[in-house]
Amino acid sequence: MTRPSPFSVRGRRALMVMRDEREIPIVRRQLSRLGMTISEHDPAEPPRDQSSDVILLDADSIPIKSDHAILWKGSIPIIALIGTETPSRLKWLLDLQPASFLVKPLRSAGLYTALVVAFDSAQQRLEQAAHIEKLEDRIRSRRVVFAAVLQIMRGHDLSEKDAFALIRQTSMRHRTTIEVLSAEIVAAGGMPNRTTRTA
Amino acid sequence: MSKPSIPLGLVFSQSGPYAMMAGEMRKSALMAVDEINESDAFDFSFAPHLRDPGGVVAEYHTACADLIREEHVGHIVGCYTSASRKQVIPIVERTERLLWHPARYEGFESSDNVIYVGAAPNQHVVPLVRHMLDHISADVFCIGSNYIWTWEMNRVIREIVTSAGGRVLAERLLELGETAVDHIVTEIIDRRPPVVFNTLVGESSYAFMRALHAAATRAGLSIPMLSCSLCEPELKLIGSAASVGCITSSAYFESIEGADNRSFVARWKARHGRDSSLSVDGQSTYVCVMLLARAIRRAGSAEVGAVRRAAANHRYDSPQGPVWVDPDNNHCFLTPRLARSMPGCQFSIFWEADAPERPDPYLSNLDLTAIGTRAEKSNDTMAKRSNHLRIVK
Repeated sequence: MTRPSPFSVRGRRALMVMRDEREIPIVRRQLSRLGMTISEHDPAEPPRDQSSDVILLDADSIPIKSDHAILWKGSIPIIALIGTETPSRLKWLLDLQPASFLVKPLRSAGLYTALVVAFDSAQQRLEQAAHIEKLEDRIRSRRVVFAAVLQIMRGHDLSEKDAFALIRQTSMRHRTTIEVLSAEIVAAGGMPNRTTRTA
Repeated sequence: MSKPSIPLGLVFSQSGPYAMMAGEMRKSALMAVDEINESDAFDFSFAPHLRDPGGVVAEYHTACADLIREEHVGHIVGCYTSASRKQVIPIVERTERLLWHPARYEGFESSDNVIYVGAAPNQHVVPLVRHMLDHISADVFCIGSNYIWTWEMNRVIREIVTSAGGRVLAERLLELGETAVDHIVTEIIDRRPPVVFNTLVGESSYAFMRALHAAATRAGLSIPMLSCSLCEPELKLIGSAASVGCITSSAYFESIEGADNRSFVARWKARHGRDSSLSVDGQSTYVCVMLLARAIRRAGSAEVGAVRRAAANHRYDSPQGPVWVDPDNNHCFLTPRLARSMPGCQFSIFWEADAPERPDPYLSNLDLTAIGTRAEKSNDTMAKRSNHLRIVK
């Protein structure tokens, strides 16, 4: 799958969660210029299940202790519009994990940068999450690899180093991972038959 | 008498949730304008242009835009809430004007186009929490209005209290203007916290203080209350019994000793009646207009850049004592004070800082370890440490 470019924003869907009467037209106009699809949501209302690609959230329009604020947190990147820089407000913002931010009063300049940064960091977050999942899988299967190495050491009378080398070479030859082959070794009680088939 | 006239914008809401306070501020601004206009000490007069945003946040921007475009004002005195000030800042910054802001606020702002004459957090909440830790309790029950002032006060209280080993027992919030307070009063009577920190504003605060006083009296309890915003006109609105005993932090109380304040109070009462009372925000608005007039006189011009430079470090012996603008952040050196509300709707001051305190709007210089190690606490620590040393030996 090709990585979507954070620079191409045309056709992406933006959800505006804003109250300020002077800033709404500025954002609306700029998003239209960029060719984005716009929908709007009253900050006083809890979020509905809206499918959008980015949320522009006016931080000052939602009370810090409001129950529904945290519902905005999810996989859709949030651009926080910041008017108040008190730590209590910033702490609330950090809990929402915004992908980027803009400082009010808003101008036409800056919005595109905020969008690009938001799309890019959202993409990076996805990739990092996938990477971390892979690493965690690998950690989980370490026990299986260890058991497979022991099995091969005993069955073939090899040192630990040589047993691991054999498993590694075999898995490479068969275009599979060490973890998958190890699971097969443990299940079969030794090197599975197919390892000799394609040599 | 004909002196050249300088237009001055005054923006105060005459209706809406804080109309009472804004009305006091408007009266003080006009009193200062009249004194300047009648005084030989100033070779100019102010032509005040009043605007009333009616407590509607968006109207503040409109009012100021109109003052700048139509009346050509370079200087505006006004705003009470942070939300209204944040509406005005973009336009004064864009058009290079000055907003003279009288009210205390929660800090974390420093615009080149605002002169902050009200207290910064190191001048209002910090001395009060310090007093609480030293003399009342490190465990506190917080109640406040659900908006930025309370959120930020509660954060500061929690940070200081927990670093001193205390606890925030509860943080209860009421919507602005809400007067249904019985559930919280019941909770307080049941739990009997050693102290209540009240950051409610307006009618919510008055209703809460009346209800808590009544319930505590019935239960035979006396629970100390703290506030950073209570003022004399509010004591009257709350009623003499329920308003007594609240420990309040402020840069100004009507009862400040000294000739400057006595004369100021006398002039105020001559204008507004014997039964009227000054308030911290009213006095601060008077100080705003005076600081501005003195800076214009010193600069020889009302031009914003020249006035800002002239205002910097220019000491004014105001009713609340010496005040001057710190050019590092455009906030003012002020003297923090603590007082107890008394029968007769007055405050009795029991502590004031030795000298005007440098404003610290970002609380960058707040040393939590210094507050955390109070006398008794540091004794404990030392005792523990010496025990430990003995064991090692």
